[in-house]
This record gives sequence, structure tokens and C-alpha cells, in this order.
Amino acid sequence: MSKKPAAQPTLHKVIMVGSGGVGKSALTLQFMYDEFVEDYEPTKADSYRKKVVLDGEEVQIDILDTAGQEDYAAIRDNYFRSGEGFLCVFSITEPESFDATQEFREQILRVKNDDNIPFLLVGNKSDLADKRRVPLETCRERAHNWQVPYVETSAKTRDNVDKAFLTLIRQMSRVKRGLAAEEDPAPDDAGRCKPSCCSIS
Amino acid sequence: MGPPPVVTGISPKEGPPGTRVTIRGEFLGTSAIDLIGLKICGCDCLLSAEWKSKNKVVARSGPCKGLGDITVTTRSGGEGTSTVQFRGYHESIGPVKESAVWVEEAAPPSLPWGRRPMSPTTYTPPDPLGLSTEGEDCKFPEEELHEMFPDGSGKLSDENFQPGWYLLEHHSNTSFEDLKAGMVFLQRKVEGQKEGQLSFLKANTGAVMDQLDRLVLLKNMYEEDQRKNGKEPLQSLETAIEDSIKLADSLFLEILSRKENADKTREALSLLTRHKFLFQLPSSIDQNIRKKEYDLVVNDYNRVKNLFGNTDVKLFQKILSEIDKKIEDLKEKLFVRMKTMPINVQEQMKYIRLLISLKWEEDAAWVAITARKEYLMSLLNKVKDHFKQKEEQDNNEKGKRHKSREEAEAARRSAWCGAACAALSAELAALWALARAYFAAELAGQPALSERHAQFKEMIIAGVELFSEHMRACLLSGGGVTSADAARARLVANLRHLREAYESLLKLDLPSQPLSIVERVIYDYRVHGMVVFLQRALKRVKGLADKETWKIEEFTEYGAITKLPHLLETYVKEALSDIHKCVWCGGRRESAALDAGPLHEHTRHVLHAYTRVLDALANDHSGQDFNNTSLSVALDQRLEETAASGAAADEGGSWQRRLLVAAVNARYTRRVTLANIAAAFDECTFPQPTQALKSAEESLSSLEASIAETYLEHKGDPLVGTIEPSMYMGRHKVASAELVDDARPYVYEIINNLIAVHAETDSVCGASAGRYVRDICETVCEEVARLAACAPPALPRPAAFRATLEYTLLSVAIRDHLTRKAENYLKEALAAVPPLELEEDKIRMQSIVEDFKKRMALQLASLNCNTETV
Repeated sequence: MSKKPAAQPTLHKVIMVGSGGVGKSALTLQFMYDEFVEDYEPTKADSYRKKVVLDGEEVQIDILDTAGQEDYAAIRDNYFRSGEGFLCVFSITEPESFDATQEFREQILRVKNDDNIPFLLVGNKSDLADKRRVPLETCRERAHNWQVPYVETSAKTRDNVDKAFLTLIRQMSRVKRGLAAEEDPAPDDAGRCKPSCCSIS
Repeated sequence: MGPPPVVTGISPKEGPPGTRVTIRGEFLGTSAIDLIGLKICGCDCLLSAEWKSKNKVVARSGPCKGLGDITVTTRSGGEGTSTVQFRGYHESIGPVKESAVWVEEAAPPSLPWGRRPMSPTTYTPPDPLGLSTEGEDCKFPEEELHEMFPDGSGKLSDENFQPGWYLLEHHSNTSFEDLKAGMVFLQRKVEGQKEGQLSFLKANTGAVMDQLDRLVLLKNMYEEDQRKNGKEPLQSLETAIEDSIKLADSLFLEILSRKENADKTREALSLLTRHKFLFQLPSSIDQNIRKKEYDLVVNDYNRVKNLFGNTDVKLFQKILSEIDKKIEDLKEKLFVRMKTMPINVQEQMKYIRLLISLKWEEDAAWVAITARKEYLMSLLNKVKDHFKQKEEQDNNEKGKRHKSREEAEAARRSAWCGAACAALSAELAALWALARAYFAAELAGQPALSERHAQFKEMIIAGVELFSEHMRACLLSGGGVTSADAARARLVANLRHLREAYESLLKLDLPSQPLSIVERVIYDYRVHGMVVFLQRALKRVKGLADKETWKIEEFTEYGAITKLPHLLETYVKEALSDIHKCVWCGGRRESAALDAGPLHEHTRHVLHAYTRVLDALANDHSGQDFNNTSLSVALDQRLEETAASGAAADEGGSWQRRLLVAAVNARYTRRVTLANIAAAFDECTFPQPTQALKSAEESLSSLEASIAETYLEHKGDPLVGTIEPSMYMGRHKVASAELVDDARPYVYEIINNLIAVHAETDSVCGASAGRYVRDICETVCEEVARLAACAPPALPRPAAFRATLEYTLLSVAIRDHLTRKAENYLKEALAAVPPLELEEDKIRMQSIVEDFKKRMALQLASLNCNTETV
């Protein structure tokens, strides 16, 4: 039905993962439509697609918003398979969600079988600082361990929302151009990455 | 046209039919009504679409399968595109699947020899690998399968079967060991089939035995059947079928016919419902007629005419004819009602319109106009008859006092006038309104015929003329004059009625001809009113004779007058002011003032009547003799007479006195009252009745003259008559030797009589009394001259002396009253006497005259006082 333009911009498939209720859909909707949805409605699997201009280049971002609930855990593999980048979201007010990120990370790595898969750890609900129960250091430490960037966002105030997505897309486009190894932002990250890469391949 | 809608988000991205899908994007319509199309995977979901905002629409997915675009169409942006896709799938409900409906969990017994479903669509081959298939939950994404095997299929029976697809689809999570076991299972199965018939029979012994049994059974049954029905079973079959058909027919015939009846009834019912309007029309017409909702009837009628006017259906025609009859009746009824007076114009016009819209053959409006005109005429006549009848009734009633009857009549006429005026103004207004509507074609009829205008004009004129005729009969023939106030009030009231009627006609903007008729009536009535007032004045003036009491009211410079002149003035002024107040001023579009002719004429009559009254009064001396004695015997006798006839004196004195008073009245009237009347005319802005005044003046002055003559005649003649006898009483002849030292007594008598006349006239006439005295002096002198002439010419000296003395004394006495003529007479008398020759005589004469003057100073003074010199 839709006519495809001659030069289709690069498509980046992003998958939102994380426990239920941490704000995956809220982040997605804030990023897509600048709106904050107050009422909570568990997601099954939502699909969004948007064009963004990244560093002067127009790219298309496809967001798959997945279900956080454990009920749907069985079908996650299928989704993960098609993902090219992952936003792993937890709520800084909920340590359980933070713990769950470990599990998600492992599942993604298992399905994608790629340690360098673009991945971003996102601590959401930064506006609720007074209810914070996951210390910032802990979060940073985990990101550091995983060698992934850590961003704290607030879907409610749109704080760092664009930054989170754009950081991930930038990472993905670098990977796609095959430049991931050379232009790894942190030298020590790269140092730690290489052995693991080698060990897998 | 705005930008086309773009769908950029979908939640969820897949689901079975009926999934609530939130569609997000841009330009999804400016409002709920702007959203005119929504398709998910090609299924129209607009019905369930719920527009939330221009970025969000919520809908339920349709019965679609597979991936598909979400297409939003808006009025403002047209058909849109989507960047995301929805995948619809059909859930198969199993024992572990949540479901809204009850699923029989006990699986049907899968007997090895049990019958399999014959339909190929439902036939699913058993699991060829002998492995339990995975649950639906772990489904491998279909799109990826499609990507991987672009031409393949996962179905075992398909030609392009791809084993890889099958395995991924059904056993994506199966471990390699399991798959290997499945492979072994499959190989064993294949080999089993390859082992030949024996092994096949072995494997399927039960089935083969069963088949054999069945075949034997079938053969037995077939043979039995052949035995029973012969070789050709078809015929019996045919007959059996035919029988069954017959039976079925007979069974169903009744039902069918009943069904047919039912259908017919239904059809009839639906027909009735469809043409309910027509069938109910007759009764609804009746009902509406009863409720006087004629407009509805007309509407319905026109509608039914349009709908069924040229129908061929008998039933409809019948109903139509019934309706037509009702309408005819209604038309008749309306027509009669329209014609029946009294009726409101609006209502009448309504009826006319109804009649016209019902296609009445005649010119309904014209008929209505005619009817209304007739009604007007008859109404006027009825009013007239009513009052005439009442009048007669009243006339027949005896024993009523005349005046009250007159009063009643006046009131009745007034009521008549009011009623007629009201009737005219109301009905003519109605008629005119109707006609105007008619001629302006407002009544929606055919345009009025040209001669109708003339006819209508005639009608109006006829109506107005009838009215004017009645009014003339009513008002102008009015009877007696009643009290002034009542008459005035009535007059004003009648005039007001007339004017109101006239006003209302004026407002109608009628042509001038009928207006002028009414105006004429008003004018005539005004003239009539004027005449009535003047006649009343005349009547009163005529009655003045009875009112004269001869009482001196005032002593003017013209002499003593009674109240007569003032009464005349009052009466005339009253009449004039009444006229001025009531009738003189014209109303709107009336001739401003009345014609002066009748006014003057009647004024003249009044004045003449007055003159006649004065005349009659002056000459009325019945029962009173001219008292001569008073003259000859002078004052003392007069006193006696006054005492004798005291009553007469009380009433105004002697006859002569009355005569004089009348003269003075006439004079006063002539000089003062007439001028006052003229002034009153001026005051009332009436034209001066110059002619009438002049003639009145003339007649008054002639009356005056005749009175003077009469007076002289009656007064002078006896006076003169006494001269001769008294002259001779002392004998004319004197002794010649006798010394004459005084005049004879007749001279004194003359003087005394003159004094009496002077006193009388002066008491009445004042300054103008001299005239009478003068005239009498003249006649006296004439008589003296005559007597002197009769005396013997040659007189002796003493006689001559005496005569000279007497004449001289006389001339001295009446010197102030001598006219030229009288002087001549005296000179003549003196001439007849030989003049005095002796000086002594002359001296004596002189002394006697001086003596006379001295002696008679009082008399002379009384004779000469209050006299204007000639």
C-alpha cells in the first residue's frame, strides 16, 4: 500500500526491554510523540517507526516496545532475534527491576550471540529522586561492567529521553558501518571488549 | 487539503481479530467526523474506530490474517500511509489457552480404526516425526520464515514443501537429540510402508478384516435388495418418489394455501399501511372539519389528488369519490358559511381561500363581496326597521307625556344613528378589506374582471347612499325641539357618530364619490343642527310676547327699555354659540364652514319675528281704553287713575307708556342689540348677516315710526280736540272795552297738556322724548292756526290783543319745541290777527309776557328741561 521511496533511509531496529512498569512505553511515546501517558496499561508488543536526523543523516528508527511482564517471557526470544539495538530499562525506584536487567542482558547476549550488540542501560523515573532506591553508583558500576553507556531519564519530564535513543542509534549506525571496533568511545572499554570478542569468535 | 495521515505507531503490533489497537501517528484527522476511513490489514475498522486526537486513534482489528498496513483516511488529508504494520493471526484454542468459550478438553477417542474426517480442509496429517508439537507460544516468527524460504511452504501436502520451514515452525525449540529420534521414527514408518503387503496387512489386520466383513454384508444386502426389487429398482424408486411427491403435495397443499392466504393478507395489510393516508383520509377529513382545521383538509385533499388523482385502482377510485363527495359537501358548507353573515373578514377570507384552493367553480370572493354588501344593506334596513318599529310602538302607547315621548324619540334616533354608523363603518370596512384583497388578487383567485371594479364601486355607493338616506330620514326629519342642552348633546353625539363613521371610511381610502355622499349627510345634518338652533331661537323670540312684563330693566341713552332686547340678544347669541360649538366647524375632509345662506335667512326670520313681537306688543291694547282724561285734567287726575287701576300700572303702566317703551325697545334694538348681534357673528367667525341686519333695522325703524305715529295719533288728537272747546268755553268774543290782561285758560291747558306729554315721554324715552313733544306741538300749533283762521277776521282791539297775547305766550312756552313748521303755523295765526298798533298795548303785552314768564317759570322749566334744542 505505502509507496516506498527510492532511497529508503537506514533502518535501525531498536527493542525496548525491561521489567513491567518501568516506563518502556512511556519512554517510547515520549520519544515518538512528546507525550506522557499517565495511565498504566501493560504492553504486549507495540511497534513504532520514525524518521530522525542523526548527525546530518536521516535515519529511520523502528522501535519494538515489548512486554515487561513475565507472562510474555516465552516470546521474547523471537523478538530479540530481530533487534539491532536494545534499550534496557529499569526504574530507579525499584531494585527488582534493576536486578532483572541482568537477566535481560544475558538473554539478549544469548539470542544475539554478540557481545558488541548496541546496548544502553537506562535508569528511568529520574524525576522521582526522593523515592530513589537504586543508587546511582550501583547503576554506573553495572554499566561499566557491561561496557555499555548508562543514562538516567525521566519519561515524565522528557529528561534525557532523546539522548538515550540517539546515543543508541549512533552506536547502532557505527556498528552497521563496521566501525564499532575502531571507534569505541572508551579505550579501556575497547580493551576489555576485544578479549571477549576474541573468545567468542 | 491538509497533509495525508501517517501512521507511525501501533500497539499492539499483532493480535487475533478483535484486538484493541491503538494507532498513533500524525494528521489522523482534525475531529472524529474528519476520520472517514480506517483499514487494518485491508479490513475496514472504521466502525470500531475511536478518534482520540490527531495523533491517536483506537480501533479493533478485523478478521485479517498476516501482515498489513494501517491505512487511515481523513476528509482533510485523504488516504494516508503507515510506517508500521499489524499482523493478524487466528488463535487456535487449545487446552492451555485462555478462552472466553468452553472448550471440550477431553480429546475425541482416536481409535485406530475410527473414521477420520473426510473433509480435506480439516485433515491434518499426524505428526510425521512422532514428536509432540510445541505450544503456540513458542511460534517462530512467520515473517522470518517467509524471508528465509521465499518460495516455500510449511505444509506437508504442499508441493513447495520446505522441510526447514516445517522444522522451524513446529520444532524450533526441539533439541537435536529429539530431532534425531524423530528422524528414526520417520524412517521406521517409511520402511514399514515399504515392507510390502504382508507387513501392511499385518500392521492393519483389524482394518482389513473389518473391510472384508463390510464387503460381505454389503453383498448380502445388495442381493437381498435385488431379490426384493427386481433387476431394475429404478422404476419402483421412481414410483416411490412420485408417491412421496404426491404425498408431500397433499400434505403441504393446505399449508401452502394457508401460506398463500397469509401472504395475501400480509400484502393487503402492507398495502393498507402504505396507503394508510388515503384510507384514513375520509375520516380524518370529517374529523378536521369538525375541528375546523380546514387548511389541513385542503392540504390533505391536494396531496391525495396529486398522489392518487389518476389512479386506475378501483378501490382508490372509490375512496377518492367518497373524498370528493366530502369535499363537495365541505365546499358547499364553506360557501354557505362564507355567505352567512355576520362573519369576520379574516374568517371570510379564509373561507374564500379555502374555496379557491378547493377549486370552487364560481368566483367565491365576488360572491362573498356581494353577500357582504347585501348584509350591509339589510343590516342598515334592519336597524331602520327596528327603530321605526320601536317608534310606532311608542307612539301607540298612550298616556305618555308628550315631552317624554319626544325625549324618547330623540334618544331613539340618536341610538339609531349610532347603530347605523357603527354598522356602516364596520361592515364597509370589512367589505372594503375584502374587496381590496379580491382586487389585489390576494385571495389567490383568478384576476378580477374589469367590470367588477365598476360594479363594486356601485355597490359601495349603493350602500353609502342607503346609509345616507336612512340618516337623513333619521336625523333631518327630526321632530320637535326639546330642551337646549339635550338637543345639543344629542346633536353632538349624532354628529360624533357620523364623523366616526366618516373617519373610518376615510381611513379605508375609499373613492371620493361615496365619501362625498357621507360628507353631504354630515353637512346636511350640520345645517340641520344650525337650523334647529335658529328655529329654537325663533320660537323663543316668538314667545317673547308672553315674557314681556313691561318692567323697565334699564334706562339707556335711548330711553327706558324692558328685557326684551337683551333677551333677543341672549337668544341669538346662545343659538350662535351653539352653532359655533356644535356644527360650524367641519371635521376632517369636510367643507370647513357651513353655507351662510340658511344662517342669514334664519337670522332674518328671528329678527323679523322679534320686530313682529314688538309690533304686536305695541299695538296690543285690548281691554285698555286710551285714557284721555288724564290729558285734559293733568296731574292730579292722573294720580287718581293710577290709584284706580293699580294692577295695570303694576304691569307696566298705561298703554301709551307701553307704546313708548316698545318704541324705545325698537330703537335700542336697532342701535345697540343689532350691533351686538353683529359682533356676536364676528366672534363666532360667521359671515355677517348684513342683509338680515339691514332689513331688521329698516323694519325696526319703520316700526318705530309707526309707533310714533300711533302715539301721536292717540295722544295728539284728543289734545288738539280739546283746544277748540276750551277756547270757546271762555268765549272768543271779548268785550271791546274789557282790558285783557291774561290769556284765556285754554293756553294754560295746552301748556299743561304738553307738560304732561313731555313728562310721559321723557320718563320713558329720555333724551329722545323731544321728538314726540315736538310733533304734538306742531299739531297744536296747526290747530291754533286753523282756529285763528276760523275766527272772524276783524277783531276788536282787545280781542286782537288777546289773540296776539295768547299766541305770543304759546310761542314763548313751547319755544324749545317749535319746529320750523310749527313756527310757521304760529306766524300764520299771528298774521291773521291785526298787529298791535298802540304803543301802550305793546308795553302792556311786554309786561304781561314778562309776568307770564315769571308766573309760569316752573311750568316752562318742566316743559323745557331735558330737551335737546332743535
